[in-house]
This record gives sequence, C-alpha cells and structure tokens, in this order.
Amino acid sequence: MRNSLMAAGLAAFLMTNAASAQTLNVATAGDQNMVDYIKDYLGPMFEKSHPGVKVVAVGTGPGDGGSQKIFEKLDAQKKAGANSDFDVVVIHQKAAGTMAQDGLIQKYRDALPTGALVTRDTATNALGTDVTGYVMPMFHSQTAIAYNPDLVKNPPGTYAELRDWAKQNPKQFGYNGIKGGMSGVAFVTGWVSAFGGDAAKLEKGPYDAATKATWDKAMADLKAFNQNVVITPGNAGTLDMLNRGEIAMGPVWVDMFYTWKADGKLPPNMRLKLVSPGMPGQPMYYAIPAKTAQNKLAADFIALATSPDVQAEGIVKRFNWYPGIDAKNLQGKLDQAAWNQLFADIPPDALAANGKPFPIGPYFNDILETYEKKVAN
Amino acid sequence: MSGKSPSPPMSAALDLQRGRSTVPPASVANARVWALGSTALKIAGLAIFAFLLFGPLANLVLWSVAERWYTPFKLPVSYGLRYWEVVFRPTGDAMSSLATSVIIACLTVVVALAVSIPAGYALARLKLPWRTALMILFLLPQAFPSVAIYINVARVFYSIGLTGTITGVVLVHAAHGLVYSVWIAAAAFAAVDRDLELAARNIGASPLRAFFTVTLPLAAPGIMASAIFVFLESLDEFTGTFFVGVPQVTTLPLLLYNASMGGNYQIASITALILLVPSVLFMIVIERFLKADVLSKVGQ
Amino acid sequence: MAKPSFLGLLLIAPALIMIGALFLYPLGFSLAAAFTEPGGGLSLTHFQKAYELYSTDILFTLFIVVVSTLLTGLFSIVIAGILTLSETPWLIAALRNLYRWPLFIPFIVAAQCMRTFLAKNGLMNNSFVALGLMEPIQTTSFLDWRGIIITFVWKQVPFVTLMLAGAMASIDRATIEAGRNLGASRLRVLVELVLPQVAQTLLVGLVLSFVTMLSVLSVPMMVAGSQPTMLTVDMAFRINSYGDYATANALGVISYFMAGTVAWIYLRHNVKREVQA
Repeated sequence: MRNSLMAAGLAAFLMTNAASAQTLNVATAGDQNMVDYIKDYLGPMFEKSHPGVKVVAVGTGPGDGGSQKIFEKLDAQKKAGANSDFDVVVIHQKAAGTMAQDGLIQKYRDALPTGALVTRDTATNALGTDVTGYVMPMFHSQTAIAYNPDLVKNPPGTYAELRDWAKQNPKQFGYNGIKGGMSGVAFVTGWVSAFGGDAAKLEKGPYDAATKATWDKAMADLKAFNQNVVITPGNAGTLDMLNRGEIAMGPVWVDMFYTWKADGKLPPNMRLKLVSPGMPGQPMYYAIPAKTAQNKLAADFIALATSPDVQAEGIVKRFNWYPGIDAKNLQGKLDQAAWNQLFADIPPDALAANGKPFPIGPYFNDILETYEKKVAN
Repeated sequence: MSGKSPSPPMSAALDLQRGRSTVPPASVANARVWALGSTALKIAGLAIFAFLLFGPLANLVLWSVAERWYTPFKLPVSYGLRYWEVVFRPTGDAMSSLATSVIIACLTVVVALAVSIPAGYALARLKLPWRTALMILFLLPQAFPSVAIYINVARVFYSIGLTGTITGVVLVHAAHGLVYSVWIAAAAFAAVDRDLELAARNIGASPLRAFFTVTLPLAAPGIMASAIFVFLESLDEFTGTFFVGVPQVTTLPLLLYNASMGGNYQIASITALILLVPSVLFMIVIERFLKADVLSKVGQ
Repeated sequence: MAKPSFLGLLLIAPALIMIGALFLYPLGFSLAAAFTEPGGGLSLTHFQKAYELYSTDILFTLFIVVVSTLLTGLFSIVIAGILTLSETPWLIAALRNLYRWPLFIPFIVAAQCMRTFLAKNGLMNNSFVALGLMEPIQTTSFLDWRGIIITFVWKQVPFVTLMLAGAMASIDRATIEAGRNLGASRLRVLVELVLPQVAQTLLVGLVLSFVTMLSVLSVPMMVAGSQPTMLTVDMAFRINSYGDYATANALGVISYFMAGTVAWIYLRHNVKREVQA
C-alpha cells in the first residue's frame, strides 16, 4: 500500500517535470548571484519571449572549481558520445581556454546578432588561449580592496603599503587564500605581479617554466604576510567578516560588494580601493557545448543575454557588473546615475590604470601550485 | 543524603542510641549552607550546559528572522519573515530541494530494505559460511573515512553516466545506510520465536507464506526502526551527494551548504530549521525504543 | 557444521553485491590510484606530492581528531558518571533530558549553527559581553581549529554518552554500593570501579567517533578558513578544482592509515580481553 502510494507520488512528480515542451539547461559556475541572475531575471525574460520553453539554471560552485565541474561533465559526455546535459554554460576564463582546446564547446559568435558588439581583447583571448568565436563575455568584473573607513582612516594605495599596514594591524585584513573563491586568487596573483618581477610577462607570456623560481622571495613574503591576516572561507566569507566587523579590509569582487550593500548585508559606509600596481578582473563567458540538442535556443538565449537592453538593465543596474559588451553600446539604455554608481569608488581612469587581467594559463597554474607548496604548507 | 559531608561514625551512633541528638546547631547551619551552595553550583552548571547545548540552535532561530544585520549591531537591525517567503515560494529552491531530498530518502529506504530484509533473514535464520566475517563486512563502511570512497564512486559513476542523477545518489545513500539496515534486520529476525514459524509450517504453510504472514510482521517493528534510521541518514547526508549529485541534484543539505558559503545566512538558517524537524521528531519518538541496555551491547 | 544453505547465500547476495560495488571496489580503486604512477608502475610520487602540498594539513587533521576524541571521552565520562552516581534526582532527570539534543542534528546543521555562534560578533561572544564577563575588545573569533573541535565535541558527546550511560546502567550496582560503603568518594568509584567495567563500550564509542570525524566534510569547510584545514577539504579541493584524483586518493590512504591505527588499538584491546577471559 505504502509502496503504491509512493509510486503514484513519484509518477506525478515526474509528469509535472515532463510537461514543458522544451527545456533549456543552463549551467553556471560562480557564486549564488550568478544562479540568481538566471533564475530571477534572465530565465523568466527568455521564457516570456519563447513560450513553451522552460529555463533550468544549475549552479556548480564558485571559483575555478565550479568551471572544472562543468568541464568534467562535458568531457565525460563527449567521451560517451552523448548530447551534453547543458545547453548553455557560463564559465571562467581558464576553463574556457581548456574547453576550446579540447573541442568541448562550439563556435557560435560569428552567427550571433550581438556578436559584433564586443571588441575587447577578452572576447578573443582567455588567459593566453585563443577563443575567438567560442565565447561571448557575460560581464567584466574587477576585484578591489574593500575597507571600513571608520576603522581604516588612510587606506593603503599599493601592495607594499598594504603589507606594512597588515603588520601594524594584525588580523584586521582577511582574504580566502586560493580555495573557495577567486577574490583570494586575484589577491595572490596581484601580489606575485607586484613583488615577483615581470608583471607584463605574466600577463602576456611567453611561458617560461623557470620563472617559478624567481617568485621565492615574493612567496616567502606572502607566507610572512599570512601570519598577520585572517584566512576566510571564500568570496562571501570575506564579505561576511567585513560585515560583522571581524576584519577591516579584504579583497572582494566589486559587483558582490555593491549587491551586498544593497541587500543590507554590508554596512552602508564601506568603500573600495583599487591598489597599485594592479588587481585582476575577469570576464565570465557564455559558451555552447559542442554537442547539444538545443543549438538554436542556446544561441537565442545568449543573444538575449548580450543585448544592450539586458546588459544595461540586468548586468549593470541590477547586479552591478561592468558590461560584457562594449560600454558605448549601452548609451541611451542606462541612466547616468546608475552608470556613475558603478564608478563611485573606482573612477574610470583608476580602472584603466590598475585593472589587470589574470596571468596567462600556465603561469596561473604555477602561481597556484607554488602557493600551495610554499605558502600554505 | 545530599552532598559529601562525612558523618562522624561512632559517637553519633551512640548518641542516637541514647535517644538524643547531639548534632550542634552550628553544624546544622553549616550543612544547610553547604547544601544550598552545592545546589546553586549544580543549577549554575546545568545552566551553562544548557547554554552550550542550545545556544547554537537559538542562534539559528535568530538568523531565520533577521532581515538586515550588519556590524556593529549585536542583534539584527530589522526583523522580518521576508526570507521565509523567499524560501517557501513555490518556484523557490527550497521547495524543490525538499521534494528531491524526500524522494531520495524514500527511494533509499525502499532499496535498503529490499536488499537487507533477505540478507537479514539469511544471517539470522540460515546457515551461512563465515557468518561473522560477513557481519563485519557490512560494518566496514563505517570504519573507513568515507570522503575517499565517495570520490572514487563519483569517478566510476562519471563513466557510466550516473553522476547528477537521482539513481546515483540513491545508490550511494543506500550503501551508506546498509550497515544499519542489515544489522538491525538480522537482530529483528533473530528475535522472532522460531516456534511460531514452525507452527505455521506444521499447519501446512509454504516457507514463503510462513515468512510473509508470520516472520515478517513479527520482525516489523525492528525493521521499521531501521527504515526510519535509513530515512534520516539519507535526508541529512551531505558528503556523498556533494560528490555524486552535484550539480543537478540539489538536496536540502546541499542547499544549506550553498546558502551558507554564499553568505546567505538567513536562507541557510531556515533550511537548517527545516532539516531539524524530522530529526527532532524522530528523537522524541525513538525515546521509547532506545533502551539503554540495548545500546550497551553494541560492538560486543 | 551442517551444509551451508544455498538459499542463504542467494538471499545475502544483493547486499554483498551492493557493498562490493559501492564500497569495496572504490576502496580498492583508491588504493590502486594512490600507489600507481602515470607510467603504470608502483610508486610513492603521489604521496610525495601530497606531503609537499599538505603536510601541515595532515598534522592539523591528526591533531584535531585526536583532541576532539579525547575531549569527547572526557565529557562523556563526566556526564555519564553524573547520571549514574549522582544522588540528586532532579539533576539526573534534567541532565538526561538535556544532553541528547545534539544527537540527531546532522553535521551540516551543526556547522551552520557554530559558524554564526562562534564568530567574533557571534551569539556566544555577544552573550558574554552582555553578561559583563568580557570586554568587547577582548572578543575573538573561534572560527578556526578551536571551532572545529568544539563542533565535533558538541555533536559526538551525546552519542558516546548514550552508549556509556547505557553500559554504566547495566553493570552490577552492587560494585558501586560496595565502593561507597567503604568510604570511597564518588570520583574514585567512577575512576576505579565503574570505568574499567565499561571501558569496552567507551572504546567502541571513541573509535566510531574518531572515524566519523575523519569523514566529515561540511564542518571544516564551513566553520574554519581554508588554511590550514582538514584532509577532507583538501581532497574535495583537489577533485573539484583540478580533477587530481591521484593526490586526492593519496590523501585518502593517509586518512585510512589514521583510522586503521585507531582500529588496531581497539582490536588489540579486544584480543587482550578475549585472552584474559
């Protein structure tokens, strides 16, 4: 009796899921705000313009780990020769490069109506790998140091000043190491760029395996630096500790910072500072897996997501990211106040001077591994 | 009879024999102060113990009704039930995660029972070679740290396409719960009086019929207990689902984890409260079944 | 011994297959993967890498689990002792109703509770400040190794206490009475008379707790920062960020080794007991 009741319930559940005619599966790496963007904003918008289609969003977790999960899934399904479970994926740069090289994603940008709206380097170059045609940037983001002006009267302007400040104010600075979020990773790569020697070579290449050895002093300094700081659990962990007054400064993603402030999860008086010689930012990319059942729908979805209207209203206004397509395309779609809000703490010239990309893939991996060997251990 | 005040043995006994109390008033007052002090100490100890026990839980409740809370405020800036509405909206994650969790738990119970009822019967009634070794075998999953096991199960499942599916997660949960269900089923069947089965067979029932009409109903309470245990373990299971179910299968513990790591403490707290309900209910109910001396026999 | 029942083997087969496929096979796989180098031969390169990257974490894990187990044992003995030897009925009743609460709370819920309870501005510190026991400036965050230990002990004490209290309740009360009659204090009765009789149960509970703590992923991930952290978090990180099964399995074998050592201690104690009996 109980068994048949359960079977009936299960059947009902399965039937309600099969009811919608077409499903668009979107997998996104990154924090919860990435999933919310699709669930609460983009998905319903797409469903309205495409009746009968259901958008299902799945989050795979923050940092490169989230993108790695998507990579593994696509890889496994490619090996099995099956259609991929996901129709649209939103991934970080490192994973995009690997996926393009391994043939896990398809070229679609040339046929996309909004494809020409982005001319930035980041649309064709993902940490040194050529991804022309494979990706469309969803947004551009930037890390910066968030600080509480009540506790920090004179925020440091460079990495060197930051290092000294942390020494004088132990346990008042926090970042998440290299696990659990890219804000900590950004801090570390920025550190290596600042103290490790040739920053330009790290960004542009060529890759030289011997460069690792030149980072010894920088890594030793970082290890000493870590004695004076708090290691937080992740992107949100740093923001949370700032909120609770447990630390006074920490690297954060600018968009998460503004979103948290708007939600009342961060005190209204917190400010941002972009320290020199620079801190990384990154785009996240829309991509379409090589073998999916919904090619047309996927392309339509990305076209909607990268249209000037959605970029203005969704990306900039609602979620406080810098737009994925070129800013000039948003003129007229966004009121000046919203635009200024984005640059309140970090003016465009500071962004241009100190906003850097991440190091190229091989150097990126080397930095992470050296960190684990020399600093964390 | 309270406290540790020693009684001077011989003289007091002699005094009582002579029919008069020789305990001086001062020492009575002393004893009373001592008793009061020790009672106060006990109450204080109990209070601290209760704080340590329930404080973290009270924290959960506080966070579930906080709407805006940032430093330097010691208590939420504004209270409200906004996040309950966010969690419980029909399109919300929590409802679908709850449904997923419950379905997985039910399926896990079905699979675990389907496998462990025959196994328990065989262990209890039939002659098996290396019976002790087999019992130990079922205990083994509890003896090895499970993260490494789950990692490799996930890897195997990748190649057969079971990751991110409900089937995969149910298999992992059922294997994890097998130790309870097999051991308890074996104990439940062993406790059924053989004579009753033999009586049924004597009247002409086939072995199968005797099993279904006599043995199984008598063993049912024990098996029900193990079913509830397996259900709860599956509902609360996090690590296996983290490796095998992500990203498509989101159970309630995974939702809790994502919300917490994302800094969304209100949603995490509300989800935690939802998870607590079956556990607390079970604890109140099982009070009657968990006899202390039964537990003392565990492992012997 | 009569002929083994074929039907019996048939009935137990599905359970065996399940354990084999979902536990023994992955176990063997992890051992093989940890010891096999890319070329195909046996080597310890993965252990070397694991050591290079995570030696601090290995020691950290060992430290936390050992301290948590010892503290759990200590608190369980105290509570079970009070339940058995106390002469204040209301204390026993109150304690009995209180101590079980964390028992059925899953680790992940406990981790979430502790994350906000033990923070610098968490409920615990705020309560102390409100009661005047502490200055606001003195509050520290417990969200590091202390938080992990506190969470583990909070969760495991009811479990071990339950077993221990049951065992203590079933020993012959006469031994306790005899001790008390001879003038021994209750503490002495507990340590010298009761504990040796329930040592077996205590050991089982502690061994189970030890292994459980080595298996938990949610608590170290949610309660502490990422450096240093427990091996389970490192394993998850290796898999999720790099797909590096080899190093993760090497770390897994190290944790098997830790659990194995404790299990060996238990077995040795058991064998000694059997021999004495």
